[in-house]
Amino acid sequence: MLRYLLLGGLVISSLTTLAQVLTREDSLSAGLIRTNNTTVLSGYGQAKVEFDFRTKTAVANLTRNVLFLGHKFSNRIYFFSELELEDAKVVGGKPSGEISMEQLFLKFSINRDMYLQAGLFIPRIGITNENHLPTTFNGNDRPYVETFVIPATWREIGIGLYGRIRSMPGLNYSFSVMNGLKSGEFVNGSGIAEGKQEGSNATASNIAVTGALLYYIKSWRVQASGYYGGSAGLIKRQADSLKLSSGLFGSPVAVVEANAQYHNNGIAFKALATVVTIPDAFEINRAYANNTPSKMIGAYAEVGYNFYRLIDAESHKNLTVFVRQEFMDLNYKIPSNGIKNGINRKHYTVAGITYQPLNGVIVKFDYVLRNTDERNEDLIVTPFPQQLPYYTSNGFLNIGLGYSF
Amino acid sequence: MKTRRAFLKDTCLACAGASLLGMTFSQLTSCASLPVYKTNLSLKSVDVPLTSFVESNLVVVRDLQTPYDILLVKKSETEYNAIYMKCSHRENPVSATKTGLYCSEHGSTFDLDGNVTKEPAPGPLKKFKTELHDNLLTIDLNS
Repeated sequence: MLRYLLLGGLVISSLTTLAQVLTREDSLSAGLIRTNNTTVLSGYGQAKVEFDFRTKTAVANLTRNVLFLGHKFSNRIYFFSELELEDAKVVGGKPSGEISMEQLFLKFSINRDMYLQAGLFIPRIGITNENHLPTTFNGNDRPYVETFVIPATWREIGIGLYGRIRSMPGLNYSFSVMNGLKSGEFVNGSGIAEGKQEGSNATASNIAVTGALLYYIKSWRVQASGYYGGSAGLIKRQADSLKLSSGLFGSPVAVVEANAQYHNNGIAFKALATVVTIPDAFEINRAYANNTPSKMIGAYAEVGYNFYRLIDAESHKNLTVFVRQEFMDLNYKIPSNGIKNGINRKHYTVAGITYQPLNGVIVKFDYVLRNTDERNEDLIVTPFPQQLPYYTSNGFLNIGLGYSF
Repeated sequence: MKTRRAFLKDTCLACAGASLLGMTFSQLTSCASLPVYKTNLSLKSVDVPLTSFVESNLVVVRDLQTPYDILLVKKSETEYNAIYMKCSHRENPVSATKTGLYCSEHGSTFDLDGNVTKEPAPGPLKKFKTELHDNLLTIDLNS
């Protein structure tokens, strides 16, 4: 009897849970048009093994696992969140992975063509920043230009207006205001990435504005975007003492970017070019001695073909062979108190195969050839043998898995 | 040199202007947009007259009380698709162009059969069954 009671309890408990939480598939199959108060669970992640041809070593890593939780309060108000664990675990007091909120915002639908989102969100800058799921790009690593020059995923706290222009189907726009970067945290060689505040007690003494125009036309998707924001992150008294400009847009950082993507008949092409300008780099270097450049540039182009199209043109499977060429110069222009380092001028050639047996599952093989200029030995303070030799040319073989559901 | 007050004023004006411009543009309709058939989508089925397809092979079926539209695609005189314009990824409303549908939020694209042509959308868009009779196309909203 006790067994039956326990079984009954479990069944009721399961039914209650199902009634409260719908997976995305459940909410789809329900086919409801006027659904309210639904909660959606989802996620994505990727893992890879990387072999370094110079050192003859390999690294296996669970790069990231992201849990998505969304809730629909009404037909006009939604909640979105993504909780990310990088590198599999976090250990107190030791170098290890990272747990962070990748996004957390409320979305308010104004009308059918416009919505506002407020909270921690990713602005529309570049391709990978907004569309960073591993099933959406070739290669195990995100494009390097969109890692070092545009620091995807770049999220800050703010408010954004998104919309589409009804009279021109395919044309979309966005405009956002968010907290700025923190130039005291910039690290030479990683662009502005370390200056991101990512919603963690961010100094909002500086703000940033971003805007983008996005147009879908035939098989093309073209976009241009811009960012302009302060980076001092200090009160006037502190900024004055460091001789930095303060105020909403003090010590500004400007990013402009344009990209285009093409998909048709198994052919995929994408290209992006970007420029980052930091006009007060001299003052930032004088204050923090972090060797901030005054201009960085980057560009890449990728072409691929889905060979499944040759077997079955109607197939939704994907076996893409691709090649991507990237170039960036993270110290394209430096102020008089900066020091150039050849390793910041990089060329990447990435070639590989992407296999998707079905939507949401991806297997990736790629070879990465990285070429840089010579390292500036004046910047090396730890002598041989502690300091490993630097190779201006190095190759990496990557094998990885990704998923998104 | 601009004072902080003047700068803030200019910034606020620029923001308000941009918002107003966006709202104005989004309310404009012209021959470039797809024809819209307004109806009540809370019913079990909807009848759309075939005359709606005079201008275009694509017709958007809309109920302003519901968050998503339905895109009707005339494939031939006897074959129609009724595609629910809700992205299968994050349930964002998708937009239609003459060559397909797209989600501006994460970049998923779909063909005019609702199939995914570019992820992250993990599956096709939902389609409703349709039936032709007496110059009417009936969309079965329970299908």
